Amino acid sequence: MSQGEPNSSPAQFDVFVTYQSILQNEEISTPLAAILTLTQLIEKSSAGTMFELVQALNDGAEILKQRTPNPISLNAGCELFIAFVTLFPHDSDSFSDLKTELVKQGRNYATEALTYRDKIAALALGFIEDDSVILTHSYSRVVMKTLLRAHERKRISVYVTEARPRGLGLRTYDELTAVGIPCTVVLDSAVSYVMDKVDLVLVGSEAVVESGGLINAVGSNQIAIIAKAANKPFYALAESYKFHRLFPLSQYDLPTHNPNVLSFPPASVSTSLPTKGAVIGSGLQKITPAEGSRSMTQEQVARNPNVDYTRPDLISLVFSDVGSLTPEGVSQYLVGMFAG
Amino acid sequence: MGTEGHSVANQRVVENLASKLRRRQVVGSRETALETVLVLRQVVSKARFSNIDQLVEVIRSVGRKLVDAQPKEHTVGNTVRKVLHHIREEYHTATQGTVLASSSKNTLSISRFVLQGQPRKQNALLKTSADAKGTLKENDPDDPDSFARGLKPVLMEAIQDVLDELETVYDNVSKNAKDHIHSDEIILTIGKSATVEAFLKSAAHYRKFTVIVAETAPSYTGHDMAQSLSSAGISTVLVPDSSIYALMSRVNKVILGAHAILANGGMFAITGSLLAASAARAHSTPVVVCTGQFKLTPQWNLYHEYGALDFADPSSVLGFEEGDLVDKVDVVNPYYDYVRPEFVDAFITNDGDHPPSSVYRLMKEAYDDEDHEL
Repeated sequence: MSQGEPNSSPAQFDVFVTYQSILQNEEISTPLAAILTLTQLIEKSSAGTMFELVQALNDGAEILKQRTPNPISLNAGCELFIAFVTLFPHDSDSFSDLKTELVKQGRNYATEALTYRDKIAALALGFIEDDSVILTHSYSRVVMKTLLRAHERKRISVYVTEARPRGLGLRTYDELTAVGIPCTVVLDSAVSYVMDKVDLVLVGSEAVVESGGLINAVGSNQIAIIAKAANKPFYALAESYKFHRLFPLSQYDLPTHNPNVLSFPPASVSTSLPTKGAVIGSGLQKITPAEGSRSMTQEQVARNPNVDYTRPDLISLVFSDVGSLTPEGVSQYLVGMFAG
Repeated sequence: MGTEGHSVANQRVVENLASKLRRRQVVGSRETALETVLVLRQVVSKARFSNIDQLVEVIRSVGRKLVDAQPKEHTVGNTVRKVLHHIREEYHTATQGTVLASSSKNTLSISRFVLQGQPRKQNALLKTSADAKGTLKENDPDDPDSFARGLKPVLMEAIQDVLDELETVYDNVSKNAKDHIHSDEIILTIGKSATVEAFLKSAAHYRKFTVIVAETAPSYTGHDMAQSLSSAGISTVLVPDSSIYALMSRVNKVILGAHAILANGGMFAITGSLLAASAARAHSTPVVVCTGQFKLTPQWNLYHEYGALDFADPSSVLGFEEGDLVDKVDVVNPYYDYVRPEFVDAFITNDGDHPPSSVYRLMKEAYDDEDHEL
C-alpha cells in the first residue's frame, strides 16, 4: 500500500532540505545531521511495519547520498542508524510506540554525541606535551577543540596547512591566533619542509574505515607518509559515529572517486597552454585574487579529489569517544557493530 | 562508614607493603604483584561494606597508596586493577537476575550499540555462584553486613584466581617454548628475566640450541643468567654488551624479558634491551618478548624520555673510589629502556601469543576502563 513511499514522502517531507537545515548548526557534523534527518523521517513516516520503515529509511539515505557530492561521512551516519533500527528490540505495544521510541533514541544520541568532542579532546590532551609543536591539516572541529583545550594548560604552537583548494587552514589560523596560540600557515607543498620541526600531527576525519585507515581532506595521506618517514606520531581524531564500514584498497576505491577526477582533458589550446595570456583569453579565470598570482581554474580544481585515504599503518592512534584505539581497534568496533 | 574498626589492621599491612616498596625491599614485577594480591586479600577479607561501591573505593584507596609508594613498579597498579575487574565480574554474576536483567532490557541506545565492538572477554566462566543469588541485598538497613557476608566467599575465590595466575605464570609462558625455538638456533638474550629463563629451560627439554647472553652492564645480571642456563645444560655464550651488534648477524632470534608492557605495545625492559632490539631490527632478526599478562599496564607511554625511566644507583657505573672524577661528571644509571612497539615482533604471554598491536585489546579485556586512573 505504501509502496509509493519513496515518491510521496519527498512531497511532504524533503529529506535533503531537512538535512541541509540541520547542518546549519555549526556544531552538528554530517553523520549526526544524517541521523537526525532519518529520525525526523521516522517521525513523519506512515510506515506500518518494520520492513516498510527500514525501506523508507534506506530510500531516504539514498536520496541524501545522491544529492551530496561527498557522501562518505553521511553514509557512516545513515548506516549506523539503520543498523541500529533493525536491531532494536521490538517490545513496544504498537508499531507507533516503537517509532516514537526510535525517534527518542535518535534525539538522545544526537545530544549525547555533541559531548564526544570534549571527550576526545580530553583523551588527546594526555598526548600533547608542554611546548609541543603540532601540525594539523585543514579545519576540523574536533582538532580545534583539542588545541584550544591544550592551550589552557600547556604551551603549544601550531602549524596548519593551507589545504587548497578550499583554504580551510586559514580558518584554523584565524581561530587559533584569536585565542593567542602561536600559529603559522604552511603551504601544502611545504609539509616535508616543516616536518622536522613538528612533534606530532593531529588531523580530524571524514570517516575511519574498516581497515583502520582514515578518510580525510585531501592532503592527509601525504602528511601521514611524511610523518612516518620522519618518525613523528600521526594521530587521527574521530567520533565513533564516523566509523564507516568500507574497505578501500586504494584511493580510487573511495565513493567520491569518479571518472572526472584525475582525467585528462581533451587537448585544446585554451586549456593546455599554461601561459597567462591564454588563460585570461579563455575567459575561465574568474577569480584572480591578486594580480599576477596564478591559481587553478574551476575546471582544474574539479579534476582533483576532495578527500584521500590514509593507510592504517601510517596512523599511530585513533582517538575517539570510545577510547584511544589502534587502527585495528577501529575495525574491531566495526565488526562488533555490524556483524555481531 | 563502618570501616574504621578494621581500618587499623588494614592500614598496617598496607603501610607495611608501601614502605617495603618505597625502600625497594620488594622489587621485580612478579614479586610486587604477588605481595599486592596478598595485601588485597587481607584488606578484602576484613573490609566492611554494604554495597559494591564502598568495596571498590576501599580497594582503590589501598591501590592508590601502594602505587604512590613506588610508581615505577607498574605491576602493583595492574594487580589492583585486575582484582577490581574480577570483583566486579563476580558481583555481576552474583547479582544477575536481580539488578542487571531489569536494567539491561531497554537500555539499548545508539551509543550502546556502538560499544558492541568493544573488546571484552567472552568466555566469562559462569562460576558456581548460584547459591549466592537472591541472598544478596545491597544497602540492607537492618543488617548492613549481609551484603559483605554473602559476597565475600566469591570475592576470595576471585582474588585466588589472580593469585593462581601469578603463581603459574612461568609455566604457562613456557608451555609452548618448543614451538618457538628450533634445533640449532642461536638465541640472544639480555639481563636475567625469570620468565625468559623458564622459557629457555623448558625449550631445552626438547631441543639443542645455543644462547648468547649479554652481560648487561652495569648490573651484570647477564652473568647470573648465563650461569643458570649453562647449569641447566644449555650451551651458553656470555658476551659483553658492546658486541651485540657484531654478533647479531649470526643470531636467529632475540628473546627479551619485560618490566612493563604499555598499551601501545611498547615496553619497559632492562637497559640494553633497546640496543639489542634495534640491532635486531637492523638485521631483520625477530624479537620476541616473554612476559606474563600481569605486566600489561594500561598507559599509552607518552613521553619516553630518558627521565621517564627508573634510575639505579650510579655507583655501579662510577664508584666513589674514583674520587677525582665523581664531582666532575654527572653519572646516571637508568635501569630500564623504553622499547618502541615497532621493535617487537611478538609477545609470548601466559595466555597466547600476541603482536604489539593487539596489546591494547588484551588490556581492555583484563581491566575495566574506569580503573585506568586509580
